[in-house]
Amino acid sequence: MSALEHVLRIAPAGPPRATVLIVPPLFEEANRTRRTLVLAMRALAAEGLSALLPDLPGQNESPIPLVEADLTRWRVALARVVDGIGGPVVVASLRGGALIDHAARAAAWWRLAPAGGASLLRTLLRARVSADREAGTVSTLGGLQAEAATAPLLLAGNLLSPAMIAELGAAEVQPVEPLRSVALGADGLAGTPLWLRAEPGEDAGMAEAIAADIAAWSRSCGII
Amino acid sequence: MTDTPATAVDATLRALLADVLGLGEDRAAALTADSGLFGELPEFDSMAVATVLTEMEDRLGILIDDDEVDGEIFETYGHLLAFSVRKVAGE
Repeated sequence: MSALEHVLRIAPAGPPRATVLIVPPLFEEANRTRRTLVLAMRALAAEGLSALLPDLPGQNESPIPLVEADLTRWRVALARVVDGIGGPVVVASLRGGALIDHAARAAAWWRLAPAGGASLLRTLLRARVSADREAGTVSTLGGLQAEAATAPLLLAGNLLSPAMIAELGAAEVQPVEPLRSVALGADGLAGTPLWLRAEPGEDAGMAEAIAADIAAWSRSCGII
Repeated sequence: MTDTPATAVDATLRALLADVLGLGEDRAAALTADSGLFGELPEFDSMAVATVLTEMEDRLGILIDDDEVDGEIFETYGHLLAFSVRKVAGE
């Protein structure tokens, strides 16, 4: 990530035992989960870990227009952030964040509810179709995808380049080691899928559970 | 999932709407066949419609073509449930 990108950093009172780099979900899902993720970062700091939440190029306070970003650029940017951190790094990603976390040189990975790129893209395309229908014009998933082969496409407020749309449509989570992949629910982490939520919400209990799970995983990997 | 009974589809659909619309269990449980969705619930915007469709595919194990989606299936909970039950039955 260029030095221009903003990184939200929450540090523990003393010297950090390790750093947790949070890779947020992509696009609107990042906004829906940000508050809970920051609560989790505070809880991680209370465990003696430094927690970082970087802006991806083209997102939040980034000086780069989103249309210039694609998944490759995001992977490279995250790898650079990790290269700039002293000491061991645990990369913790949510949903679509898991599609761009594997190029980083981390001591361990943690993923919550990883999402496939095709399904994320389908939702974005559908939001456009649904908004078009409300506006009285007819569009289809296939038609939009054909359009996106040659020109940027505006999807749910995001102007995405042909490269971004092509990469997203094909992106799947990549194997990394050591990895703990957790789902929400009875056999995973207790909480609510805030990334789906139409209205922003927060879940303090889930934030605590996220931090506790990441800390436990870091311990079992011998990092802290 | 072709043999999933309608009651299981109903439970899945209520949980899904609770997750996407932030209804809470009580409001989700109180939905009836006549409960209005799109245009009735303020949370149900075009992004929510898109999210509901993708989650229906994931959780019910179905595929939804966009020409099957018209305004009508999101008019009421009853319409959405009937559509889902038909899709799960492979019709």
